[in-house]
Amino acid sequence: MRAFLFLICPVLLFLGVSYLLPFLGIVQLSFTDPDPGLAQYSRVLTEDLPTGVIWRTLRLCVMVTAVSVSCAYVITLLWVRGSPLVRSITELCIMIPFWISVLSRAFGWLSMLSNRGLLNTWLQDMGLIDSAIQMTRNEFAVVVGMSHYLIPFAVFPLATAMRNVDERVLTAADGMGASRLRIFWQVFLPMTSSGILGATLLVFVFSIGFYVTPALLGGGQSVLVAELIYLWIFQIPQWGMAAAMSVVLMLGVGGILYVLMRRYGEMAK
Amino acid sequence: MNTHFQNDLVEILKERAAKGQISRRQMLQGFAALMGTTALGAGAAKAEEGRLVFVNWGGDALDAMDEAFGTPFTEETGIEVLYDGSGPTEGAITAQVQGGNPTWDLVDADPFSSQALGRKGLMTPIDYDIVDKAKQREGFGWEYSSSCYFYSYVIAYDATRFDEPPTSIADFFDTEKFPGKRSMYKWGAGMWEAALLADGVAPEDLYPLDLERAHAKIDGFKEHIGAFWGGGAESQSLLLNGDVSMALIWNTRASLLHKDTEGEITFTWQDGIIGPGGIGVLKDNPGGTEAAMRYIAATQEPERQVVLFQMLGNAPSNPAADALIPEDERRFNAMDPENLPKQIALDTDWYEENYGAALDAYLQIISA
Repeated sequence: MRAFLFLICPVLLFLGVSYLLPFLGIVQLSFTDPDPGLAQYSRVLTEDLPTGVIWRTLRLCVMVTAVSVSCAYVITLLWVRGSPLVRSITELCIMIPFWISVLSRAFGWLSMLSNRGLLNTWLQDMGLIDSAIQMTRNEFAVVVGMSHYLIPFAVFPLATAMRNVDERVLTAADGMGASRLRIFWQVFLPMTSSGILGATLLVFVFSIGFYVTPALLGGGQSVLVAELIYLWIFQIPQWGMAAAMSVVLMLGVGGILYVLMRRYGEMAK
Repeated sequence: MNTHFQNDLVEILKERAAKGQISRRQMLQGFAALMGTTALGAGAAKAEEGRLVFVNWGGDALDAMDEAFGTPFTEETGIEVLYDGSGPTEGAITAQVQGGNPTWDLVDADPFSSQALGRKGLMTPIDYDIVDKAKQREGFGWEYSSSCYFYSYVIAYDATRFDEPPTSIADFFDTEKFPGKRSMYKWGAGMWEAALLADGVAPEDLYPLDLERAHAKIDGFKEHIGAFWGGGAESQSLLLNGDVSMALIWNTRASLLHKDTEGEITFTWQDGIIGPGGIGVLKDNPGGTEAAMRYIAATQEPERQVVLFQMLGNAPSNPAADALIPEDERRFNAMDPENLPKQIALDTDWYEENYGAALDAYLQIISA
């Protein structure tokens, strides 16, 4: 055990110097810039702009998480339990987005959804709509773009959980006369709930830090926390505010992680 | 933030070169003409005596810039010039200087940023014994920033959608007469002025800006906004994709739209809002004050400013350059004697004092 501690010392030291010290610097800045005190925190937690941005970020991330995890669940089901052909097609659909940059994907969605984009053009050609529907530059587009990015990340915890489901339990349920739907709702779904929780955790935490996708697809009307922090660091420098917002974000995400991890730990037992 | 504007110039050059509208050599000349405003994605170049580091907004033609602009300047003066594209935002400059060991000399920052930073003791005053005041426009030389070019927020519109073209900023806000969605600038600059002009404030009474009134106007108009654009390419694609029928965008992009669509999407100078660009020098810059000032002086040459205009469409800071622009291109020059009287200039002093708080309030309105 002692040898083990000795061996991981360099890593701890590295993390301490490269993560902990700078973070403590941020914490210090949040209490001292421009004047010592709690003013930055009270502004972050009471002023209209930061609170509005925090709520919007949370609301959007909850939506994105719900969409991503539900879509990922279906995709994973196809991947884990589909026929060999379905499996290989699904695998491609999961892997290919991984190789495309987040920026290209945002632009891809723009050309897909904009007023003279593919979707609107098709709908108009088929005579289903008269004039273009505005599908970009709003929260809808942000949810679509962010979910598209995050679905693959949700797939892996779900796949692990689904692969761990004991086939014999399903067979038993079937033997007892349960319908397929009932087997899914009452047996399969609960048995994969640890995967759902894991995926939710991963996607939600990831989504909070998103910057490029909302900035491009949101049309300037959905500023999220990451963009606001950037703004306060670089564009209209108010480092104390940026630091306080970062600390709030860190604590928020940490709190969510803590609660969910405990729950996850219980489930995984 | 006009920092985004400078960045956009490099993008325009690259796009035009990619489309074959200009040669690679012209693109490099354009970078050069950006006067050091060219930004060549170097890592942090380490500056010292006999060397200058110019920081701008990105790009990837480090060697090219050296050939096109650095080498002639070095031949003239013996001073080497390195280019760094990491983006001199106010935050980044503050970090450079307060860190105590700056590696940058010159920055292509907004004049109001340079002024604000200068008052905090982070910039060196411009030495007007070396930089020639006579080569600047009246009212556009500052203590901590020397003007290097101009651009304008103009009304660009999709002419195919209207029977009669819009002729004023009031038309921009009139969606009954001119149907369709609109787009405005995400970072506020120029938009407050536009809203107030449309609301009936006389140009000479604009400053200090009545932000409450401007925000009320924008808030009431928000349902007609298709998007707030954050970068030049975005503003262009909003009009091209048909997402909006009218937008307040940089004249550089508006000119490109006019040329690319053969006037289907075009613009008017009427009620344009002129933004000045400027070069500033960091406090205790490693390359020395004098060298930095000589560099700025070298950027004032009218011939080079004309090259800049032809490549990018941003207007010369040296009035002597206006007359050197070919007759048929003058309509695209924001500072041309024909176009200038139709527009209003941003007030650097006001922005220096108020920009931060104003932008916070603006974002609150537009993203609510």
